[in-house]
Amino acid sequence: MTASFHTAEVELLRSLVGQLLELVHDEPEAKESDDGWAAALGLADEDTPARPTDPVLLRLFPDGYNGDDESASDFRRFTERGLREAKAGTAATVLTSLATSEGMNPEERRPRDKTRVELNAEEADAWLRTLTDLRLALGTRLGISDDDEDEWANLSDDDPRRHIHDVYDWLGWLQETLVRTLSAGLP
Amino acid sequence: MRHLRIVTTAPVEIERPEVEETEAPAPETPWVTVVWNDPVNLMSYVTYVFQAYFAYPKTKAEELMLDVHEKGKAVVSEGTREEMERDVEAMHSYGLWATLQKAGDLG
Repeated sequence: MTASFHTAEVELLRSLVGQLLELVHDEPEAKESDDGWAAALGLADEDTPARPTDPVLLRLFPDGYNGDDESASDFRRFTERGLREAKAGTAATVLTSLATSEGMNPEERRPRDKTRVELNAEEADAWLRTLTDLRLALGTRLGISDDDEDEWANLSDDDPRRHIHDVYDWLGWLQETLVRTLSAGLP
Repeated sequence: MRHLRIVTTAPVEIERPEVEETEAPAPETPWVTVVWNDPVNLMSYVTYVFQAYFAYPKTKAEELMLDVHEKGKAVVSEGTREEMERDVEAMHSYGLWATLQKAGDLG
């Protein structure tokens, strides 16, 4: 599968995916211990990531249980680090496919106006997941909710959220295109 | 040759033990994976994930996606607690909002 991007779009994607990579790559904060003396001394339980306070991280790594803090905490201990690694891995794959894309001018080492990105099945899957993570991050920061399209369409030109929402929309369009292509290949 | 003495006795009423009406409890209570609606994920993407991960046919994947979208949530798989933890983790890796719970606890 081949995707074609303008140079500015490639730069934008690189920047966004790079930030996502940093965000998920960070070691999660450790949960405060709830075990006897350790709790009394305010020590951390290094094995258990704390429930994220950042709404973006909480959306990327949600609770696995509703209304059962202990099970949710156990679930987080067994899954969050692996999920962070997986999300960092797919983001890194996207960055690699952008870096090795055709369109880099070998003499000037600068991208040409148009960049062609070739994706195999594994890379396409990585793009799909990373575009989702980016949209979840931007959507959460923006405070996107159901049926609020009109509100976003009517933002004034000088509203700082306008540009971010345009990017969010563009990522959605990109993902829709990718999903349509991948769905056609399913049995 | 031995004589076989046939002793006839009155038919004995055999008391049959009451057969339990309730089925024996399953070895493990079934658990379910619930996917919740969120305002960000595309309908096409959610359908794709149900097809790609659970290998559901497109019609079933679309029905589940519409349930998530319109009713706010849908049970997408059922099994042991361990299996459901795996499914929930997979849904999180796809960026879907999912939790697991006992099958009976559905509100």
